[in-house]
Amino acid sequence: MKLTHVIPACLLALVAAAFGKSASLQIEPAGALSLRGKDARQQLLITATLDDGAVRDATHKATYTATPAGIVSVDANGVVAAIADGTATISASSDGATATLAVKVEGSANLRPINFANDIVPVFTKAGCNSGGCHGKASGQNGFKLSLLGFEPDEDYEHIVKEARGRRVFPAAPENSLLLLKGAAQVPHGGGKRLDPKSADYALLVRWVAQGMPVGRDTDPKLASIEVLPRKRTMALRGEQQLVVLARYSDGAVQDVTHSALYEPNEKTMAEAGEDGHVALSDQHGDVAIMVRYQDKATVFRATVPLGAPVENLPAPRNYVDELVFAKLKTMGVPPSPASDDATFIRRVSIDIAGRLPTLDETRAFLADADPAKRDKLIDALLASPEYADTFANKWSALLRNKRAKPADAAGTFAFHGWVRDSLRANKPYNEFVREILAASGDIAENPPAAWYRQVKEPQQQLEDAAQLFLGQRLQCAQCHHHPYEKWSQADYYSFAAFFGQIGRKATEPKDREIIFHKRGVATAINKKTKQPVKPAALGTGPLEIAPDDDPRLALADWMSNRANPFFARAVVNRYWKHFFNRGIVEPEDDLRETNPPSNPELLDALAERFVGSGYDLKALVRDITQSRTYQLSALPNEHNAGDRQGFSRYYAKRLTAEVLLDALNAVTRTPGTFAGMPPGTRAISLPDNSFNSSSYFLSVFGRPDSSSACECERTQEASLAQALHLLNAKDIQEKLASDSGVAAQLAGDSRSDEEKLRELYLAAYARQPDAGELTLAKTHLDKPRKAADGQPLDAAKGKRLGYEDIVWAILNTKEFLFNH
Amino acid sequence: MLTIKGQPTGRFCDGVTRRDFLKIGGLAMGGLSLPQILRAEAQSGIRKSPKSVIMIYMAGAPPHQDLFDLKMDAPLEIRGPYKPIGTKVPGIQISEHMPHCARIMDKLVPIRSMVGSLSGDHDSHICYTGHSARGVPAPPGGWPSIGSVMTKLCAETGKAVPPFVGLAPNAGHPPYGSPGHPGFLGPACAAFRPNGVGTSDLALNGITSDRLADRQALLASFDTFRRDADHSGLMDALDVFDQQAFNVLTSSRLLDALDVTKEDPKVRERYGKGDPKNYGDGAPRNNEHFLVARRLVEAGARCVTMNFGRWDFHARNHSELLTHLPLFDQGYSALIEDLHQRGLDKDVAVVAWGEFGRTPTINQDGGRDHWPRVGCGVVAGGGFKTGQVIGATDRLGGEPTERPVHFGEVFATLYHWLGIDLATVTLPDLSGRPHYLVDGWLPMKELI
Repeated sequence: MKLTHVIPACLLALVAAAFGKSASLQIEPAGALSLRGKDARQQLLITATLDDGAVRDATHKATYTATPAGIVSVDANGVVAAIADGTATISASSDGATATLAVKVEGSANLRPINFANDIVPVFTKAGCNSGGCHGKASGQNGFKLSLLGFEPDEDYEHIVKEARGRRVFPAAPENSLLLLKGAAQVPHGGGKRLDPKSADYALLVRWVAQGMPVGRDTDPKLASIEVLPRKRTMALRGEQQLVVLARYSDGAVQDVTHSALYEPNEKTMAEAGEDGHVALSDQHGDVAIMVRYQDKATVFRATVPLGAPVENLPAPRNYVDELVFAKLKTMGVPPSPASDDATFIRRVSIDIAGRLPTLDETRAFLADADPAKRDKLIDALLASPEYADTFANKWSALLRNKRAKPADAAGTFAFHGWVRDSLRANKPYNEFVREILAASGDIAENPPAAWYRQVKEPQQQLEDAAQLFLGQRLQCAQCHHHPYEKWSQADYYSFAAFFGQIGRKATEPKDREIIFHKRGVATAINKKTKQPVKPAALGTGPLEIAPDDDPRLALADWMSNRANPFFARAVVNRYWKHFFNRGIVEPEDDLRETNPPSNPELLDALAERFVGSGYDLKALVRDITQSRTYQLSALPNEHNAGDRQGFSRYYAKRLTAEVLLDALNAVTRTPGTFAGMPPGTRAISLPDNSFNSSSYFLSVFGRPDSSSACECERTQEASLAQALHLLNAKDIQEKLASDSGVAAQLAGDSRSDEEKLRELYLAAYARQPDAGELTLAKTHLDKPRKAADGQPLDAAKGKRLGYEDIVWAILNTKEFLFNH
Repeated sequence: MLTIKGQPTGRFCDGVTRRDFLKIGGLAMGGLSLPQILRAEAQSGIRKSPKSVIMIYMAGAPPHQDLFDLKMDAPLEIRGPYKPIGTKVPGIQISEHMPHCARIMDKLVPIRSMVGSLSGDHDSHICYTGHSARGVPAPPGGWPSIGSVMTKLCAETGKAVPPFVGLAPNAGHPPYGSPGHPGFLGPACAAFRPNGVGTSDLALNGITSDRLADRQALLASFDTFRRDADHSGLMDALDVFDQQAFNVLTSSRLLDALDVTKEDPKVRERYGKGDPKNYGDGAPRNNEHFLVARRLVEAGARCVTMNFGRWDFHARNHSELLTHLPLFDQGYSALIEDLHQRGLDKDVAVVAWGEFGRTPTINQDGGRDHWPRVGCGVVAGGGFKTGQVIGATDRLGGEPTERPVHFGEVFATLYHWLGIDLATVTLPDLSGRPHYLVDGWLPMKELI
């Protein structure tokens, strides 16, 4: 075949691996397979171990035979179906290897009794009938309502069987039931055809109606857990994997629900998951998780997809961060980029820790310093600077919703911001910082963190914010229904809300200054579903007994600060990791659910453990991160790692935030910013609240958050036309460039050589020297004869000033300036 | 992919599913630049729909019973002094002060039974989002307005005209000056406001176009930072928007669209001039906005919003109305006729309404107060079934008696018309929770 000549060598290797001789084959579920009942099915999982030890799925590739014939059938995708009672042997062959499995069929003449919740409801979920866009929404669809994702089978039974005088089911002629006619689109159905009349699901529904719509017995087993096979696997690029999902019931029975479960990848550019549980990968390496949902249970299949490039000459690890990141890169076959140079590093770390560009003096001194420990020294200096506190106070203040909704709020927002900044500056242990917020009592003036309760008013908001911000748990869904991707139920939600059930507010003078206090009494919250009061319970714990005199919020803070708390430390180290790397180990950074696993679990665990061990020391956390070789890698990809999105094999460049960009622009143009009511020269990063966004178009158009949610995502990083127009052409910016006291005027009037001045400009903007090409370009531009707007030639001095304006303008609009890299 | 964060799921405006997007982009090589993606889209036959929406917010809520639903069987203290007149469509009568609308009734659909304003608060929110401002708590970040949703789901990148333009200038009562908020979609999806703070960015500030060209060339030679340092696509996106901004600044297409002096004087005369000054703390009665809206959709804007007047007549309702209604009648009818004459009536949908209706009984000051139980609206263009009235109210104009139409139904109709699959498209709010665009409302069968 001629074609092989054009296949690159690397692909050939891949092809060989995929189609090489299998050393052995394994069939799962292991042991002997037992099928009970007429409609029993089982998805098989065939795994080939290749000569080189690699493990590959062969379920769809294998050929199947069953002897003797007539007991079971096996289709090409490995689904076994019962035909008649008896025993048989299934053998699967692939690439010269064979494996066998004994199977026993019992009761094949008998249909299993149907349980509505266990058997019927999942059909609606799989077909999408009870999704939030259709009958599952609170108002139902066209008069027919199902509970969202089938979380409330009792209600569904009522709606299907009893509501509307039972018109939806017709036991006398089951196939003429409205439920089936609509679902199969045999009568007009807004949702189209959801059920194939030839499918097993359709047959099951027919049978259920024919049997008189049994609801099942109270003694019927309940779904206890689900399990996915395999749970994790190392896969090849563009690899495939069949999943098998087993449901375990309270009576110990196990049932194959592969074809009833729902599948969803967390990285949609990496994998697609078919309805039958077949996963197909793209050519992107990394880790991908496929969330598997069945009824109210969720689990996850994790695939690690190595790139497989040689990883040599890894730098010596500086600390545990490097050990764990490099170990992962080795497994993944992703060689890291080289270390960043000093110029890149000082700019990067100054922006990340102190929210500003390094000054000229700092840069010059750093670049000239020969001390091998100079990067550590710089990190320590930045952590000790007030700008560190400004930067992180800016971050926390937005998440803690320090919002000035009306002018009178200013006293509170200033005080709260000041408290956050002072706490960070003093390096208050993080657990104490959170405790002082959660358990805040009194008046804002004497206890500023009480301001959190002014902005976050309702117990539901308080619990949702606290869970998302401090625990990385998004509980919002569980307010109205079981969380679709999580274990949390409405009971968990309202039990958590109960911690905030005894908050008292007393108005004081001036009126806006409320006093927050604990109202004596036993804290409870009403579960919206059961209408019953529930006691406070933290996530995953039982209800707590809290005396009426004790503030339940202290119990919550105690639970969070417990060393064994699985959420608290992980949530904050992941949040901080993202601050520096532009990507969380769990992404999004505040969605640490079980079905959204970390890309490097060992790293997340180690950071959390170390953080707890340090006494919740935030500066130590920042130091561990920024001292690592990992953080100090170049942003520029090598020949292998351009596609790395989660392995941290290089620094992921990020755009400067609105505040940092404005401050940087003011610094480079040497024209300080002004904000109403703030001292001249106030930097945007140190502004106390959101109110300045409305007076500064720059800050609002570049997405400074309005402090209206506990989510980092409120700070948008998306690009827009309005931003581009503003940066390229704003009157304000043009005025800064043309200012008589600005950088262009200063440089034009400076007697040094243009080269010296250009070097200074580059140092200020990029912390590096210009190269020869850039110098030539810039000098050519400066020396160009210029005309005024009226067409008359300009004198050299005036022309040079315009030339500098243009050069500064161009620098401010380069990606190198706009990004931290 | 194309949008980097907050990826919507489901079916986009052009009928392309997310999965199709992945096939052309993400699953291809994982490292396509934005221009490459745009090219790939064009090659795979994906065409963005050319449909546009013009939303007219009649700030302060006009009296439904004095516009489209006159109550001649009601006593004088309810029906007021106005008389109905016949229209081009036999059987449909509207106010005598809307003769132009009467003349083109075959191109309009008055809705006499708008419901859904829970609060009776003055707010453009429901008129621009279809969601009540009160009642069910808003999602974190707030509901996005239709223009922002269209920016997210329908906008083409790289055009010289922004996808969402809001003509409303700021007003004394802020909601009267809102062009519709981006809500949880964030500032990248906000309206471009030629009257707002960003206006001055549209025209060159203190530099000549030669110097801009000079600067652009200089930037191109300086801006050589390796784009592969960023794998999110953001650097490429910035390049695309920079190019778009240079187009705006040099092609003058946007400025031209905003400049009514470029229009045939006869056409301008037909629209009328109105008054560009805000009416009290309300919006201006600026008839030129109707014309600018048409010029903008013609130039490529996907959604244009405009706010008109201040219809909150708690006193002297009927004399005050004469300061608004004739101007509105002229400008609005000119827009609809103009769209028809230019063959845009199938591709541009126009909705005009206020946030609620007004009290049946005229109060002691001769005014009408807030009446959230029922109001009116008028729909045109879009290739909809026009020349009919939808809904009716009782004898006093106080309660809907036929076919109450929720604001959300009109939004469902518009999104459906734009090709967005309401049953599958979701957008994530700031807590990550996915939201369908409308709360379960369905497209109106009467219209499509």
